[in-house]
Parts: sequence; structure tokens; C-alpha cells
Amino acid sequence: MKTNLLVTASVALLLGVVLSQLGFFDGARLMRGLRNLGILTSDMVPPDIGVLPVTGKALWETVQMSFAGTLLGFLASLPLSVLGTRHLFSPIVSGAARFVAAAIRTIPVLLWAIIFVILVGLGPLAGTLGIAAYTVGYLAKIYADLFEGTDPEILEAVGSTGASKLHLVRFVFLPEGANAILTQVLFMLEYNIRASSILGFVGAGGLGFVMQVYLQTLEYRRLATVLLLILVVVLTMDGLSAWLRKRFLLTAQS
Amino acid sequence: MTQEADQNIALRTDGLWFAYREQDWVLKDVSLSIPLGKVTIIMGPSGTGKTTLLKVLAGILRPLRGRVEVLNQTVEKQAQRSLSTLIGYIPQQLGLVRNLTAMENVLMGALGRCGHGKVLLGVFPRREIEHAKAALDLMGIGHKSDEKVIHLSGGERQRVAIARTLLQRPRVVLADEFVSDLDMALALEILGRIRRAAQQEQITFVLSMHRVGLVRESAEHVLTLSHGKVIPGFPAQGVQGAPGVELPQ
Repeated sequence: MKTNLLVTASVALLLGVVLSQLGFFDGARLMRGLRNLGILTSDMVPPDIGVLPVTGKALWETVQMSFAGTLLGFLASLPLSVLGTRHLFSPIVSGAARFVAAAIRTIPVLLWAIIFVILVGLGPLAGTLGIAAYTVGYLAKIYADLFEGTDPEILEAVGSTGASKLHLVRFVFLPEGANAILTQVLFMLEYNIRASSILGFVGAGGLGFVMQVYLQTLEYRRLATVLLLILVVVLTMDGLSAWLRKRFLLTAQS
Repeated sequence: MTQEADQNIALRTDGLWFAYREQDWVLKDVSLSIPLGKVTIIMGPSGTGKTTLLKVLAGILRPLRGRVEVLNQTVEKQAQRSLSTLIGYIPQQLGLVRNLTAMENVLMGALGRCGHGKVLLGVFPRREIEHAKAALDLMGIGHKSDEKVIHLSGGERQRVAIARTLLQRPRVVLADEFVSDLDMALALEILGRIRRAAQQEQITFVLSMHRVGLVRESAEHVLTLSHGKVIPGFPAQGVQGAPGVELPQ
């Protein structure tokens, strides 16, 4: 009881110090921020729907980049995650695969986009490859952990039939993990749609370029149209994910 | 032991010792013989090491001392693929893949004989599919072959697990407490099917169990595991005195 109180008090104190250093107790600055928020909001309404043809085209490019990047990253993450599964491979092999996944994941998606702009030039190809690279690092780690959590009794039972490692992947790891595999790839697709909308800031195609232009020219009503479009796409993705989960995920009641 | 006696023994262990932690022995100098073509039951209260013993017999765990012989072949020296023709293993929770159908689970019994080409695409040889159907029919569950395992009842899942092992065609099947969660009537029905399968397919079954009523009804040969050691027959002090053993109804 005493220890709990001490821990709670310490965490509260630490939080207070950190918030103070970050400027959260600077009342005048926060009030100024609130006033600016009001001005910005009034500058953004009503959204200028006259830019829909231009932004729509850029939005379509963003969706294409996210979809292709997620799918490519997903496909590449599967073999890497299998290699990273300690039940199947030696600590050296699985450790190396997990290190590669961690190294890829360390680099943020925006930096990946810059790297690919340098490698393949400006445009959506660089953005798609950047998204794919980040997706590999993220999904390979999640899937390797998922495969390692497979019920050992299933592996023992199917392993005793003389099944090879490839058989185990195809008939145990993938079907047993199907729910989480689908959930994670859908989450990644949603994440990538949001993330890819800013890749245009570094010349990697999509909505980001349009957003950057509207921000620099202070055309906030046009920017509002872009933000609304992103909201519509994200909500549509949410609905699609929910439908796919309901349609394909394994439940005892279905 | 004479050669004739050897021919009637399916599985033999000689001075098995096993521990998960140093010096904390789960199996202590276990020596046993399992007769060929019969249903042998290893009984004993929960926590006495029945699961560990079966895993050592199946080659899943390696004994720290001693050895296991199946049909005069040393288990520890066999590769998993060749071991699969000798030993089939059904764990307590059956080890079925819930998201696959009963038929797909049964077909996994044939993986030791299959390559990687079409099988990885889910296409099995027609011969194996026919054998899988026959195994499901033998277990009385042929009509549920296209149902996903997650939608099957407990008793139906037990039958699928046995059918998978039958398709594997091992000489010895080791099954760990796998009818323990079923009611008496259903457990006896499944054990009856096992006995028929043992006779029909010339398979030796070794089942671990703690329900004395079931043991009395279904065993042809009984061994008791107590404190890491094996005693032939029922516990010497009588089943009434064995801690954790369920009494017959």
C-alpha cells in the first residue's frame, strides 16, 4: 500500500516536471494558442470545393500508393517473419531476421520516402516504395511474434505427422494466425493512408504536395477541402475494415 | 528377453529419467513395456508426469537418461519424418487448427508422405483424400468433413484428431488425456472406436487417463504412474487412496 502510494506520487511529480518543461503551465501562451485556433478555424470555413478536381486526383494517387505499398510490404513481411520465428529457425537466423525488421522499422516512413526519392526520383513510385519498406519492418515484427505465440500443442501434434517447416507455415502458422494477420494488415493500410498523405511534402507523390502548396500560400479554405477528403477516405477505410473483419474473421458464432 | 517376447512388444523404455529443471525429476528410472496391438492406459493423478512421459515416448522431449524403443528402433535416433511412420501423437487439447475444416485437419496426417508442390496450395493427392474420408467415416464424422473445427463440438473434435492420426498410419498412437473433458457415455463411445481402429488398422494405442471408471471400462493393459515411477496395474494402495484420481460413478 505504502509502495503504491510512493510510486503514484513519484509518477505524478515526474509528470508535473515534464509538463512544466514542455510549456504546459505557460497560461498566456496557451490562451494565445486558443485565440489563434479560432482565427485558423474561421479562415478554413467554408471549405473551397472548387479545388475538388485537383485534390481528387491527388487523393486517388495517395490511395493507390497506400494500397500498393501496403500489399508489397505485407508480401515481403511474411518470409521475413517466418525467418524471425524462433520455433522454426536457429537463434542466429531468427535473430538476424528480427534485426533486419528492427532496422527497417527504426527509419520513419517520411525518411524512407526521402531515401527513395533520392534513389528513384520524385513521384508516387518513391512514396509507394517508402510505404512498402516501413510496412515490412512493422508487419515482420508483429507476425514473427504472432507465429511464436502459436499453441505449442498444435505444433507438436502436426510436427509429429512428419510435417516440414514449410508445411507448418502453410497449415499451422498462417491459418491459426489468420485473424491477427488480417487485422494487422488492415490497420497498416489505414495507417499508411494517413501517413502517405504527407509524403508529398518531400516530393514522393500524393496529397502532400497539394497540402504543402495550400499551406505555403495560406489558402486555408482549400486546405480544409483536402483535410475533409482525408477524413472521408479514413472513415471509408474504417467501414471497409469492419466489413472485412466481420466477413472473414474466425468466430465460434459465425 | 526372448525374440518371441520382443515381437509382442510395441514400445519399451529402459531407465528413463527426465527433469525440466536440474535435479527436479519428473520421471525417475521409468522402465515399461507396451504390448503390441492393444489399448494400454497409463493412469495416475494429475501432475504425476503422464504428459511428460508421453512426450518423451513420442520423441518430442529427449530423456536426460535412458532410452525409448518403438518396434525395436531407438526413438532418439530417428528423424521427425521417419519417426512419424512409427509414432502418432494426440495432445490433451488435440492440437487441431481451428480455422481449417475437419477434412483439412485430417489431411495433415499425410504431410509426412507429401512433398511441397501442390500440397502447399492445399491440393492433396486423390488417394490421400479418399483415405481421409474413410478415416472420418470410421470415426462416424464423415458428414462434418467440410465444417471448420471451431464449429465442431468437443466429441467431434476428438474424432477428427483420431482420424488425423489414423491417416498418418503410425504403428503406435500416444494420446494424452484426450477424452477427459467428455461425459462418460461419449468418452466410452470414442474409446470403443479406438479399440475397433486398433484391431482394424493393427495399431497400438497408449492413452493417459485419470478417470478410473473409464480405465476400467476401456483398458486392455493398465500401468500406473506415481511420483515419477511406473507400476504395472492399478495403484497398489487401491484407487480410493490415489490422490486426485476420480472415482467410478
